[in-house]
Amino acid sequence: MTSPEDAFSRAEEEVARRRSAGGYAGAPGGALDSSLAAGEPSREQLAEWAVIEIDADEVLYSSRAGAPLTFFKRLLARLLRQYLVELEARQTRFNIALLTRLDRLEERMGADEEAPPDRVRDPGG
Amino acid sequence: MTAVHQVLSSAGPYDAVSVQGVLWRRLLRERGLGGGDYAASVDPRARTGFRLLKELRAEPGDLVVIRYSAYSSKLLPVLALPNPKLLVYHNVTPPRYLWNHHAGVAVACAVGRMQLPRFARAADLAVGDSDFNTAELREAGAPHARTLPILFDDARLAERGAPPASGAGPLVLVVSRLAPNKRHDLAIAAFAAWRAERAPDARLLVVGEPLSPSYRLQLEQIAADSGAGAAIAFAGGLSQPDLNAAYGAADVLLSMSEHEGFSVPLLEAFHFGVPVVARPSGAMPEVGGDAVLWDTGGDVAVTAELLELAVRDPGLREELARRGRARLEQFSYERTAAATLHAVEEALG
Repeated sequence: MTSPEDAFSRAEEEVARRRSAGGYAGAPGGALDSSLAAGEPSREQLAEWAVIEIDADEVLYSSRAGAPLTFFKRLLARLLRQYLVELEARQTRFNIALLTRLDRLEERMGADEEAPPDRVRDPGG
Repeated sequence: MTAVHQVLSSAGPYDAVSVQGVLWRRLLRERGLGGGDYAASVDPRARTGFRLLKELRAEPGDLVVIRYSAYSSKLLPVLALPNPKLLVYHNVTPPRYLWNHHAGVAVACAVGRMQLPRFARAADLAVGDSDFNTAELREAGAPHARTLPILFDDARLAERGAPPASGAGPLVLVVSRLAPNKRHDLAIAAFAAWRAERAPDARLLVVGEPLSPSYRLQLEQIAADSGAGAAIAFAGGLSQPDLNAAYGAADVLLSMSEHEGFSVPLLEAFHFGVPVVARPSGAMPEVGGDAVLWDTGGDVAVTAELLELAVRDPGLREELARRGRARLEQFSYERTAAATLHAVEEALG
């Protein structure tokens, strides 16, 4: 019998033995990284998200009576398209403006960090 | 008569926070305490137990229990009530897991974590349901927060519903909401590796409500691409009797979750004598203790070999079952019920 405390090392040994014999070919080591892994959004991702554009086809309903409800909700989204487009545009305008300001702020911080110490502006004046 | 009201950000039929609300209500009622249970949003399937938060009418002196697991702006007026407040922190999923998958839930979680200090400061007593959660509460501004484990009532596990589809091979069970932090992708990868290398007739049953329909589709695609798609079933959320039947049929419970505030399925698996293979994330080690095969590495092939040991080594299974029963004693209903009532009395002053 394997004790619970020994199980992990025994599993590792068995994997090493099997891999040396060509086993676990479809599960290379370090396979824990994947597309679902967590992470903070990158600058490129933020730029992508800044533009709000909702596709009515993304409207789904998960209950048993899903199909007719999904049809109705998509229809509603299309009927309200004019209103939704305006809403998307206003939110996108704000997002882009904010991102642009963030970029400028980062540029200024970068310039300040690179400047010689005596040339860094004193924020207190 | 003093009443104890419970307030949730959302109430559903299967989630652990709503179930805690139901169990607390039964306990409070047994002790002669009235009150109602409210949520900012109520799933139609939970309307028998919960009412909308706007219907809350707290009399002076009534205790308001705030179960905090996500942000809702509708919870903020509760903080302004003059009533004593008991904050129960169930943890809020870090938004980094959600940005790519559900913008709305990610925002609710991000704001939820930002607003936690406000709730912590407003509470007369703050408790976390694990030491892991209590540590976050203390950091958020509740220095005297303490741990009050969840109420685990094994009477709920007695009724057996419909068993999962039968099959000859060993059954791996995964029980958790389909959300990115639960890492079903890794569970599927480990299962597929085990099936390919060791157990060609093995089956995987995934139980849990999806974060969104599109996230479920994404996981189903991952299952199809794994090479083991035909052996993987997504059951969605199950009623407790049907879940009990699934535990009864399971050979092992697998959790690859990266972030857990408590993990009720560990205790459920212990109750059914089902061995557990899990990653030691968040509060998992303090719940599972020495009764779990902890997967401390980063290799799904090793996870697969842990599944092999958990399923095929009778002596190991027996030892894990024995340790599981011992862990259950730590979380016995009587013990936690007494601590719960003590916390309620303390918060009432």
